[in-house]
Amino acid sequence: MSIPAKLTQTLTPGEVNFLAENEMITILPRYSLDKLQLIGTRIPALRPMKREQVPIWLAIILKNQDKCNIVMPQWLTVRQLKAFYDQEVKNSDRFAQLPWHWIEISKALLEKASDDMPDKPHEIRTIIQDLREIRQLKARKGLKELNESYIQLDNLSLLEINELRPFIVKVMDQMRKLSDSVNSGEQ
Amino acid sequence: MEYYDIDDIIADSQRLPVKFQISVPGLGYLEGNPGKQVSKDSRMELPLWLALILAICPIDDSEDSGQNFVELLPPEFLSAKVQNAIKSSPATIDLHSILPHFYNFVVKWCWLFEDAQLVQLCLDMLRERAAEINSRSSNSTARQNLDQINKLDEFEKRIFKLNYDSFKDLKQWLAAQHP
Repeated sequence: MSIPAKLTQTLTPGEVNFLAENEMITILPRYSLDKLQLIGTRIPALRPMKREQVPIWLAIILKNQDKCNIVMPQWLTVRQLKAFYDQEVKNSDRFAQLPWHWIEISKALLEKASDDMPDKPHEIRTIIQDLREIRQLKARKGLKELNESYIQLDNLSLLEINELRPFIVKVMDQMRKLSDSVNSGEQ
Repeated sequence: MEYYDIDDIIADSQRLPVKFQISVPGLGYLEGNPGKQVSKDSRMELPLWLALILAICPIDDSEDSGQNFVELLPPEFLSAKVQNAIKSSPATIDLHSILPHFYNFVVKWCWLFEDAQLVQLCLDMLRERAAEINSRSSNSTARQNLDQINKLDEFEKRIFKLNYDSFKDLKQWLAAQHP
């Protein structure tokens, strides 16, 4: 196919974000909507002030039109994020168990629904930034352990994996070729 | 091997010193003597793809049988001196000046010679340099890195670019407004 080479290597951040927007989130609607059967998902009937789970993309559309309030996920609070950060600092050899799409979801909610946050948005933004930096640093340290056959990325989120993927795949492939060149006779 | 990989093809044409084991009539053009013979024990440089074939094909002839056409001489860039230099400072050595397609060449070389020690050396070097490349390509602008890039093997340049692009994409996306 005639698409740029780099698009064949990995997903773009925009594509990862598209996947993230299918995650469910709780909202408090301010108007009624009958239930909808879509190809991918089912949207439940919305009644004012009755909590419902909907995909993030719908929550953001409704929020933009001021038709709902978004209930922040449990982990997107200063206290919980601080706890994650402490875990990152304490365990230098593994990652804290953040959600699979934490960067994308926190970015979307910070931009679109910061008035629904129980904590101050700029504090959350700071901790998110700190978390991202410490995890990047760890991932980079982990690169020194690369080998030709195996890599373990427990608790890294999709976007973080996605960022490193083209690089790691190429390096590991070259390592595999190198070690195969001496082992091929034994097989 | 990757058939369409241009770096692979270039690595294949890397010249290697060889010594002819027998005299071959009519092959003089290899050393600039068209029409003449190549005499026994003459030394010359042949591209890898030709040297390998001549080095592993046995001669099927009564008098010289069991011998190969050429003997491969250990090339300069795999000498103990170079290997020690790599071992002592894997992250900073100028790999491009040693050989622009070092890794690809080692893969081909070891396919024939099974030099496990050399492969181990390369693996250690690649691991060390990969970490260095990763942090450089994601931390500063391309211009600052020009010096460093010139010391990279062609394969390393490619992963440098890949990582630089990937990191830049993410940074741009994070800075942009949510649609």
